[in-house]
Amino acid sequence: MLSPSHSDSAASRLRRVNAASNPLSPPTSPFRKQNERTANGKRIPPPVVHYYMNNLTSTRDPVAHRETVLILTPLARFYQEYWDNLLALSYPHELITVGFIIPKNREGNAATAALQEQITKTQKYGPEKNRFASIIIERQDFDPPLASQTEAERHKMENQKVRRAAMAKARNSLLFTTLGPAISWVLWLDSDIVETPPTLIQDLASHEKPIIVANCFQRFTDPKTKLPAERPYDFNSWQDSEKAQELAAAMQPDEILLEGYHEMATYRVLMAHMAEVNGDPKFEIPLDGVGGTALLVKADVHRDGAMFPPFAFYHLIETEGFAKMAKRLGWAATGLPNYKVYHYNE
Amino acid sequence: MLPRHHGNGYLGAREKEKTLYSISPHKFQPRSTPSSLRRRRQLFFRLGIGLAGILFLWFVWPGASLFSIFSIGFLSSGEDFQLETVRYYDLSNVQGSPRGWEREERILLCAPLRDAEPHLPMFFSHLHNFTYPHHLIDLAFLVSDSKDQTLELLSKLSEELQAHEDPNMPFGEISIIEKDFGQKVNQDVESRHGFAAQASRRKLMAQARNWLLSAALRPYHSWVYWRDVDVETAPFTILEDLMRHNKDVIVPNVWRPLPDWLGGEQPYDLNSWQESETALALADTLDEDAVIVEGYAEYATWRPHLAYLRDPYGDPDMEMDIDGVGGVSILAKAKVFRAGVHFPAFSFQKHAETEGFGKMAKRLDFSVVGLPHYTIWHLYEPSVDDIRHMEEMEQERQAREKEELERVERAKKIKDQFADPNPQWEKDKADIQNQAMKEKKGKEQGQTALAEDEEPVAKPVVKGSSEGKTGAKVEAKAAKAKAQ
Repeated sequence: MLSPSHSDSAASRLRRVNAASNPLSPPTSPFRKQNERTANGKRIPPPVVHYYMNNLTSTRDPVAHRETVLILTPLARFYQEYWDNLLALSYPHELITVGFIIPKNREGNAATAALQEQITKTQKYGPEKNRFASIIIERQDFDPPLASQTEAERHKMENQKVRRAAMAKARNSLLFTTLGPAISWVLWLDSDIVETPPTLIQDLASHEKPIIVANCFQRFTDPKTKLPAERPYDFNSWQDSEKAQELAAAMQPDEILLEGYHEMATYRVLMAHMAEVNGDPKFEIPLDGVGGTALLVKADVHRDGAMFPPFAFYHLIETEGFAKMAKRLGWAATGLPNYKVYHYNE
Repeated sequence: MLPRHHGNGYLGAREKEKTLYSISPHKFQPRSTPSSLRRRRQLFFRLGIGLAGILFLWFVWPGASLFSIFSIGFLSSGEDFQLETVRYYDLSNVQGSPRGWEREERILLCAPLRDAEPHLPMFFSHLHNFTYPHHLIDLAFLVSDSKDQTLELLSKLSEELQAHEDPNMPFGEISIIEKDFGQKVNQDVESRHGFAAQASRRKLMAQARNWLLSAALRPYHSWVYWRDVDVETAPFTILEDLMRHNKDVIVPNVWRPLPDWLGGEQPYDLNSWQESETALALADTLDEDAVIVEGYAEYATWRPHLAYLRDPYGDPDMEMDIDGVGGVSILAKAKVFRAGVHFPAFSFQKHAETEGFGKMAKRLDFSVVGLPHYTIWHLYEPSVDDIRHMEEMEQERQAREKEELERVERAKKIKDQFADPNPQWEKDKADIQNQAMKEKKGKEQGQTALAEDEEPVAKPVVKGSSEGKTGAKVEAKAAKAKAQ
């Protein structure tokens, strides 16, 4: 698919050095096309491969340390703006692997086709510097179909638990089959995030936090003033409140606390509402729950077992449950209220 | 390149041979080959079939087949050293089925290692013996905090395995992962099983397992098999045997052999159990970070253990629902791990590591099953505790043996008193015959009767000596047993 370029740049050399010799290799590395059998029809056994995970780092200057990043996106609908934004990321693309998980339904097929078209354009015909080290597409049936519902339907409270449990399973499937032994950072980027600073990875990593999340907003046209405006979108990044603790204590083991519903006033401090006009984008706050729209995690946090609970974990689910589980493992979450990324407007 | 000149005799001969099978314009051709029109028609027909086939495949797997790892073999002939950067996987193909070997389902075999050098040769001999197709099994080892030659020996044995002359021997990808966690807990038997060290030890073990799994699990795996290296005996067909049950998580019973004079065998893995009301009540009283561990007096849980339910003659296919699982030999569908179930390195519902894994799998409604009568055997390493226990057993045994000996002696005495007369009869008969022979020589009929009367007098002497001999033998045996 990709013929070796004649320009022997450092990046392309790195690509070839990192290439594995076998398709059984970790999916985060490109591999050399090869026959599995020799001329006489004998199977060539795959190699014995050593991985030195003691040397793996995740530092505040990941570019200088050539640290690899895994960008993971559960995809229900393909947005061209998402792909364009992804391509615009300034982090060296030869250090980036992108993984997608897409449901197996009609909409998923359409999204896959659109995605594959863009991938071919980039990986085969695009300039070498745009090409990612590796791209993984996974398809999966989700018990309750992870169909992209209308916004109103999606946010109905009773649908939330089922939807977010399915989402959590999708995230876990994608994460634990692609992480491999060589990744330093995992960036969770939702498929409807259409605008981020191009230095997103470097900016978030520079805080050197195990878990760090940007503030997710949505651009819209104010119906009154007819002027472009923005509003907070993701309410899953919060600091816990006593009221929420009390609510949780009174709950059945399977019930979950949800944010942003009038029926369930938690009085938590939401990061969405903490953004200041012209505030310092480097300003940090500690968080107890995180959203998954643009979330950078040190790979070691996931390796220790912090995953997205598809069940009520301390009455929390999915990304919020993830923050809690990470905390149980000794990893704290941080939020950047003034560092904004933008959600697609339906 | 074809030679232009046919001066060489050999080449000429070859040329002649060739003309027999090819169409030569210089020779008359009988109508053995189809006319050009017919050939063209055939060509179109074949092209049509090919096109239809491609269209059909395209219809079945739209776009997918181009990226599938299985198609690489077909696409890549002669294009070595081209980089492939896009991978496509359909996870609905790797859900795990009861006869996985027929569907070429791949298994990831995970083995966490620490100072395991002495056990590796045994472990690799087990690998050789697996009947599941080896090329469908990927091996992943995590070597952590080892002070012996585990890594070197592991590399050597792995390379040898992949270079094995038998083409059915080499496995799939073998990953050797090095990662130190700076464990301070000793791995020797005594500290490994001490109560106080359990919680933190189990959490560190869990961490190692999670690192291993997350580094080695790939989108093409249908099953994950966890196996300790210190398993001594297990059926060669264990993978198929466990797989056939089609459960999400399944474990065999794990016992260990003991020397005969210690009782012969003993349950080993007490981490496979069914939850009990007592244990649930106990869990509620403990603080958030506490970890309940099985097999210690400190936590009396009254749970039914898989290990204790074993019947050596029971049906090996019998299943038992369990909540906690032991880690010696776990076969799980890869989808369990993909859903997020892992080995909690924190207190999850008051459990950690493999027991927490069982609990978490249950929480996600996966089936967790143990086979009480399907047993594998763990290596026997005596511990200080064991030795103390064995000494008690030894004393008990000696008392029992003494009693037994007395009983035997008593029985013997009784037997002697009411001795079976048959051997004596035989003896007497022989003696009589001998005597008869002698007497025939002497030809004196009257003395025969007298000799018969004398016989019973000689008997006790013979018998006494023989009894003394067996008595000595028993004593010698007892002395030998003691020496052991």
